[in-house]
Amino acid sequence: MEYVIEVENLSKSFGSKEVLQGISMKIGRGESYVVIGGSGSGKSVLVKCILGLIEPTSGVIKINGQDVAKLSQKELFKTRLKCGVLYQGGALFDSLNVIENVSFGLIYGLQVPQKEAYKIALEKLEAVDLDETVAKLYPSELSGGMSKRVALARAIATDPDIIFFDEPTTGLDPITSGIINDLIVRCTKEMGISAVSITHDINSLKHISDRVGLLFKGKIIWEGTNKELLATDNPYVVQFINGNAEGPFTTQG
Amino acid sequence: MGSHFAELSVFLDRIGRLFIGFLASIGSLTLFSIKAIWAGITPPYYWKQILQQAVQIGYFSLPVVGMTALFTGMAMTLQCYAGFSEFTAENAIPSVVMIAMTRELGPVLAALMVAGRLGASMTAEIGTMKVTEQIDALTTLSVNSYKYLVFPRILTGTFLVPFLVLIDDIIGILGGYLVGVYYLNFNAANYIRNTLESMVTWDIVSGLIKGAVFGFVICLMGCYQGYFSKGGAEGVGRATTNSVVTSSIMILLLDGILTFALF
Repeated sequence: MEYVIEVENLSKSFGSKEVLQGISMKIGRGESYVVIGGSGSGKSVLVKCILGLIEPTSGVIKINGQDVAKLSQKELFKTRLKCGVLYQGGALFDSLNVIENVSFGLIYGLQVPQKEAYKIALEKLEAVDLDETVAKLYPSELSGGMSKRVALARAIATDPDIIFFDEPTTGLDPITSGIINDLIVRCTKEMGISAVSITHDINSLKHISDRVGLLFKGKIIWEGTNKELLATDNPYVVQFINGNAEGPFTTQG
Repeated sequence: MGSHFAELSVFLDRIGRLFIGFLASIGSLTLFSIKAIWAGITPPYYWKQILQQAVQIGYFSLPVVGMTALFTGMAMTLQCYAGFSEFTAENAIPSVVMIAMTRELGPVLAALMVAGRLGASMTAEIGTMKVTEQIDALTTLSVNSYKYLVFPRILTGTFLVPFLVLIDDIIGILGGYLVGVYYLNFNAANYIRNTLESMVTWDIVSGLIKGAVFGFVICLMGCYQGYFSKGGAEGVGRATTNSVVTSSIMILLLDGILTFALF
């Protein structure tokens, strides 16, 4: 299998606090991998390390077979354009309207002329079931669900190989969550994009994941497919999935 | 005896920590400015951002800077009159207003107003972008945030605050003229002649040099405090206060140093 992301023995410490302790994982092309775990387990740090937003203490991260630590600044920028990110709060640029937000990576990252970039941006907005009536709106005028869709359109605008979803359904109502989940599945299955997601939402997890890794105290303590997740009797997974107050998370946390 | 040593050691320890903290801040600020300037001078260039900041700094600051200068010039003429009339030295008033505005009040007042208006808004804007992951989003969209956010502000601040200082000088002197001629009944022709006779190019240039340094410092501090703010809305608020307070202190401190250097 061809891997888009390979992480080997990744560790990250902040001062004396070890947030990630020797994590290894591989994500195949077109695969949707979901990282689950309690608050403070290191999920966001793991994703930020892969994206190069935080420098790891040790370990190797390869994107499309290239060791990101060995890339020059220019090559790193090129690699990043192959990675889309849907941030938890959307992270849309407040001072820009929807079309400017969606076309941002095309214009500033890929140097696509503005007219062409706007055309592509409109296609991407259509891909997330939005039309040109929202193009001139500013992020403050959008609802939570619409913001997420615009952010998703921005994430797929540069035709990435991988998309990172940081808690894509947090703060949304169940129906809007379902719509966002469908869009994520559409991205991975129809567009063939690999996905790495962080979520607390069990419904979303069941819907969008091919494979799941459970992170606890900076280590992946369980990894398996979507089906294995529901069948396993691993006490950590069982507690997490069922949301039990009692279990190994609470006794060892 | 032993407790005295212990107290002294704690005292020295605190001073040492403060000093190391101060040096670390200076180092971090220097690195930040080098990164921003290096990012800005290498292509591609973001002209749109530079133009937007130029309008913000050069155009929208004009009313507040102009008004401060007008009233300062007017008040100064009146105050000078109160003192100078005792020695029948009223003829020196236009020269004093001219020198004070161009060498000192123009640059300092314009800079303090810009620090309050723009330094604060830069920190708040960049700080909010930081805590809402918009700066991370810039990076993951392959845009250098130093080039896109920091450099345009520092560049336009350095070049346009001197322009504001020049406007400040002119309006301040005009304020003095209005009070001198229409309130204190000076002869208009004499007032203008006295003002022009005392005009020295170096006075104006030294004020503009001060303006450029202050502009650089205000925008650098505004961006730096915003860029490293953390902890949500409260953190952004704290960073904004820090930005204005630090810029204002730096302006007054550098004014002293530059006055000695350019005297």
